[in-house]
Amino acid sequence: MAYGLRVLRGLVHELSDQRAYAQHLQAHGRTHSAAEWRRFSDERLKAKFGRPKCC
Amino acid sequence: MRFAKHLLWAGVAVLAAYALGALATTRGEPVNSLWIVVAAAGTYLIGFRFYAKWIAARVMVLDDRRATPAERLRNGHDFEPTNKWIVFGHHFAAIAGPGPLVGPTLAAQFGYLPGTLWIIGGAVLAGCVQDFVILFASMRRDGKSLGQMAKEEIGTIGGFTALVTVLLIMIILLAVVALVVVNALRDSPWATFTIAATMPIAVLMGIYLRFWRPSKVLECSLIGFVLLIASIFGGQAVSHSPTLAPWFTFGGMTLAIMVIVYGFLASALPVWLLLAPRDYLSTFIKLGVVLLLAVGILLVHPTLQMPALTQFIDGNGPVFKGKIFPFAFITIACGSISGFHALIASGTTPKMLAREWHAWPIGYGGMLLEGFVAIMAMIAACVMAPGVYFAINAPAGVVGAAPAAAVATISSWGFPVTVDQMAGLARQVGEQTLFARTGGAPSLALGMAHIFSTSLGGAFVSFWYHFAIMFEALFILTIIDAGTRVGRFMLQDLLGHISAPLGRTSWMPGVLFSSALIVGAWGYFLIQGVRDPLGGINSLWPLFGIANQLLAAVALCVATTILVRMHGARYMWITCLPLGWLLAVTLTGAYQKILSPLPDLGFLAQAAQLRAALDAGTIAAARVHATEVLIVNARLDAAVCAVFAILVVTIALDSIRTWAGVLRGTVARTTTESPFVATQLNAEEL
Repeated sequence: MAYGLRVLRGLVHELSDQRAYAQHLQAHGRTHSAAEWRRFSDERLKAKFGRPKCC
Repeated sequence: MRFAKHLLWAGVAVLAAYALGALATTRGEPVNSLWIVVAAAGTYLIGFRFYAKWIAARVMVLDDRRATPAERLRNGHDFEPTNKWIVFGHHFAAIAGPGPLVGPTLAAQFGYLPGTLWIIGGAVLAGCVQDFVILFASMRRDGKSLGQMAKEEIGTIGGFTALVTVLLIMIILLAVVALVVVNALRDSPWATFTIAATMPIAVLMGIYLRFWRPSKVLECSLIGFVLLIASIFGGQAVSHSPTLAPWFTFGGMTLAIMVIVYGFLASALPVWLLLAPRDYLSTFIKLGVVLLLAVGILLVHPTLQMPALTQFIDGNGPVFKGKIFPFAFITIACGSISGFHALIASGTTPKMLAREWHAWPIGYGGMLLEGFVAIMAMIAACVMAPGVYFAINAPAGVVGAAPAAAVATISSWGFPVTVDQMAGLARQVGEQTLFARTGGAPSLALGMAHIFSTSLGGAFVSFWYHFAIMFEALFILTIIDAGTRVGRFMLQDLLGHISAPLGRTSWMPGVLFSSALIVGAWGYFLIQGVRDPLGGINSLWPLFGIANQLLAAVALCVATTILVRMHGARYMWITCLPLGWLLAVTLTGAYQKILSPLPDLGFLAQAAQLRAALDAGTIAAARVHATEVLIVNARLDAAVCAVFAILVVTIALDSIRTWAGVLRGTVARTTTESPFVATQLNAEEL
């Protein structure tokens, strides 16, 4: 049950890019700020919307 | 313990076989939808546990001691080892689109049996195998894309074919899904208001996320969801207002132009403003609704009203023309096998796998779940009375524009329906009419509304109907805006070879020019569909199905080449059998769509019939220009279909040449896999 909830939370974080953002902050040794989010988001969305979406 | 496990699996196999047998042999008595659920779930479990595991162990020789690209190339970006269930959810969210919902709804005109059997068998033996092998191949090649693998494994022709195919499919796909939305919103102020409201909501969410509460995606999506629900109630108020309703009541052509303008704007506007917030919202709603529908079907377990087989297996169906073979297998693409999945399986997913064995539940299991979504759509379409189903899905050009004529035609087929019944149903869901609402979305929404409202005691049918329409339109629009953008990138990539500035994605004139070109391409087919007297779906959906299966054929050619290079001829049947089936289906479908002498089916026969009518002077003067346009469209569709057929034959022949070379020893049996590196990762901690 606890594992299931952890996975569900993880999935929600994955789909909302929260996990990727946390990794981004960790990888670059930075802290959260509006500018940092925009920098991350621009890069992430560029890659995300450069791929075809499935039908 | 081991014996108990064997006994359990034997029980699952017997239950699935019994359910399949019951579905296949029952005629003339009501069948409960739970039989379909049991048959699908049992077969999928057996396929997953035995066939897929055997492929993983014997053919792919998956090895958890081997470091995956996510570990070796970890960069905190796209390469990142991730918990397998999170990757599963991510992969499923990426592959699930409107295809598995709309395809089975349209194919229900043959009865529930053909589509159900194809969704069950096709997923286990073809679709899941394709996704799984391509995911495996990409994972062993540092996450390479399908196009790159096609170029490396088969040759330059394979790579080029993959690129052209994807671009062509995008154009047809965007046109056909846009047509589904247009048909769902036509003359419906409630639905149009709700969908129109999603745009300012998305923009508001974009600004919220960018400037007010950066990074708070969940919070923002929740606000967006609440506003969306409010917009459904707002739509109801608008539809009841004599002043406001006309402002949101449009015909097909006006709506088509609106969708085209929307596609252009979405392609040119910054991603964060419209696309990204809508995409977040759409993903959560998509997963939530799929879950809700599964629970609803289990709770309600409705009885199927549609017979197992209808007389339309002979090719004279009102929804689309063509016999059960090949058209049942082309119409249901995404629920059984979809070439588009190969792009996802060679995109983000292989870069997130922490262990090689995770490819088994994610590659194979993800597609099984997609098959299950298609099964639910088939059930939703088949729980309504067949007369109602045909009244909604048959175009006015086939059954007659007047309600009395339509019900008389449909009732004469043996599917009784009355004008009062349809009027009552329309009133119940808050629509002016449900006649000739082609495209699949309205009938699916009606089926879903029936299941949702029955599980809650029969209340709020109109709310659930419009919730379902909003759900379908929301993620179709997500595909339109994202697809237009990707199509623009592909086009700019090609245009860059002609003029360097046109290839720059930051040069605004180039962005606008290429956006206009790509929107113009799918917009042309959309308008063609709106003008088509047979409803558009009759010509566009088979084109889309053929194109999607063609991409699957490309993926299976790549997969077979990889298996031949690994094991010689020993295991090539695993991908060759579905490939052979797909070639038979797509080539027969393409041949019939181009050259059938029946004007309702063959594009050239349709053009010839219209030309003959023009020459004979039987077309009214006011309709002459429109008829000329229809002739050009029919010939264009024939040409597009021919291009698809030529592409599929080209890549198949090129692949066969490579396989023969490898098996004869004239082509080196080299592997393009990355070398073995031992893992250092503790995947259980993820």
